[in-house]
Amino acid sequence: MESTGETSARQPADAELHRRLVYGDETALAEAYRAYGALVRRVAVRVTRSPGAAEDVAQEVFAHLWSRPYAFDPDRGSLRTWLSMLAHRRAVDWVRSEARHRKDAHADDAALNAIPDASPGPDETVVDRERSLLLHSALAELPRPQREVVHLAYFAGRTYRQAAVELGIPEGTAKTRLRTALRSLAESLADPPDPALERGA
Amino acid sequence: MTDHDAVRDLLAAWAFGALPPAEEQAVPAHLAECETCAAEAARLRETVRLLDGPAVNAAPPSATSEVLSAALNARPAAPRVAAHAAPYAAAVAGVKALLPQAEGRWGTPVVHDWDVHATVAHLLAADEPLAGRLGIAARVPATPEPEGVSWGDAWDRRTAEVIAHEHARTPAETVADWAAQAAALLAAPEARVPELAARATMLMGVRLPIADHYVVRAFETWIHSDDIGRALGLAVPPPPAGHLGQLVRLAVRVLGLALGPAAPPVLFAVDGHEQWVLGSEDEPVHGELALDPVEFCLLVGGRRTPDEVPHRAAGDEGAVRNVLERAASLSWL
Repeated sequence: MESTGETSARQPADAELHRRLVYGDETALAEAYRAYGALVRRVAVRVTRSPGAAEDVAQEVFAHLWSRPYAFDPDRGSLRTWLSMLAHRRAVDWVRSEARHRKDAHADDAALNAIPDASPGPDETVVDRERSLLLHSALAELPRPQREVVHLAYFAGRTYRQAAVELGIPEGTAKTRLRTALRSLAESLADPPDPALERGA
Repeated sequence: MTDHDAVRDLLAAWAFGALPPAEEQAVPAHLAECETCAAEAARLRETVRLLDGPAVNAAPPSATSEVLSAALNARPAAPRVAAHAAPYAAAVAGVKALLPQAEGRWGTPVVHDWDVHATVAHLLAADEPLAGRLGIAARVPATPEPEGVSWGDAWDRRTAEVIAHEHARTPAETVADWAAQAAALLAAPEARVPELAARATMLMGVRLPIADHYVVRAFETWIHSDDIGRALGLAVPPPPAGHLGQLVRLAVRVLGLALGPAAPPVLFAVDGHEQWVLGSEDEPVHGELALDPVEFCLLVGGRRTPDEVPHRAAGDEGAVRNVLERAASLSWL
């Protein structure tokens, strides 16, 4: 596990919710879903472009929180960022595994192998869809301190100042992390595509 | 800092739409006159545009109940039982949540000479006396006890016997047996009907209502899950506040009994709970002692010594010391 570099601001509400999750109180699970269900689905649909897949991701994410409550540590970060990052990771995995299935289904068809993995919607070009998947894969690999700020600022709609407060870091640090993160995402577009992604690995 | 430097630092936040309105206004004016920043801004905005993708109409959110029932299939909630058994139900749920973290690390030393596997085996043995009293059959065959053995010795022998038995099996088998016995305890009528749990019975050296024996089981189960958590490097949260209060009140009662009516009286307070006078009722209070509820439970559970447990004291040091030492030596855990 990576280190965040500093201790995040401990969220007393998260610690209390975590305690109830650990001790098997199902009303804590319902509370977590009410508070963060919309965020989790928003993250998942942005990556998968599929409302159905986003529903599956949401179910997986909350089942994981509930059945493995110790996977979340309230001393290491907020539940909001943890759920958002988990949803994003699961959504990226879903897209990759879709890609693998498509490739398997058309293994003999050389022409189809050249077609990008997840089909673009009517408003999105094939190239844009491919690059979007590349970016989301790169985002999932960013160091955790950068990912936390991106998730709050981008998916959870926080200003960088609000994100800094929520993470217990100086505003300048939040700004710098956003900048480092977005620049390295932009650079990943310039690099040749990741061969592992091409294989749908 | 020049305008240029200030805006350049804001561009990523701006591209993500994460600037407060006041700062957002400063960006377009600078971009109009700075080519470097304009190019950088365009590149970052394009990156965010690609991340966004086209708007996808999300389906209406599935009913809460669908997400919840999927989760509850993966891990059932703590069963609904009467108030006296609720702390035990929660403590059992807490151990079940913790044990998957021990996968691949069952041999990690925990307490005494027990590893994680042996600690679960001990819980299996420790729940047995109450289970037996409620007519639930032992899951590990028992050798007959010699006559005249104290409950403490019998308890140690039985733990050793069960641990030896379980070490010949897989951790998953031990966990399954412990969980099945715990489930039987929680399904027993005595866990659900308070009247049935009012009957007093002698177990592990103390005569208490069945209801209180359930609280004792919760106490020990939580103490050992805290042990396992520490061994695995995980912070086990204290029991929910209401349950912690039940543990505290029972421990204070047993502590009062252990001190007896002749001990020098001490005004005893647990933060967030009521106060008690422990010891003789015929003398004025000699001293005062106050502890945090979790620290008090750890002291009574034998996980803190009187010297190390954080506490606040006033008055007669000897009287206070007597209470701390008696609390630490309550062997019923």
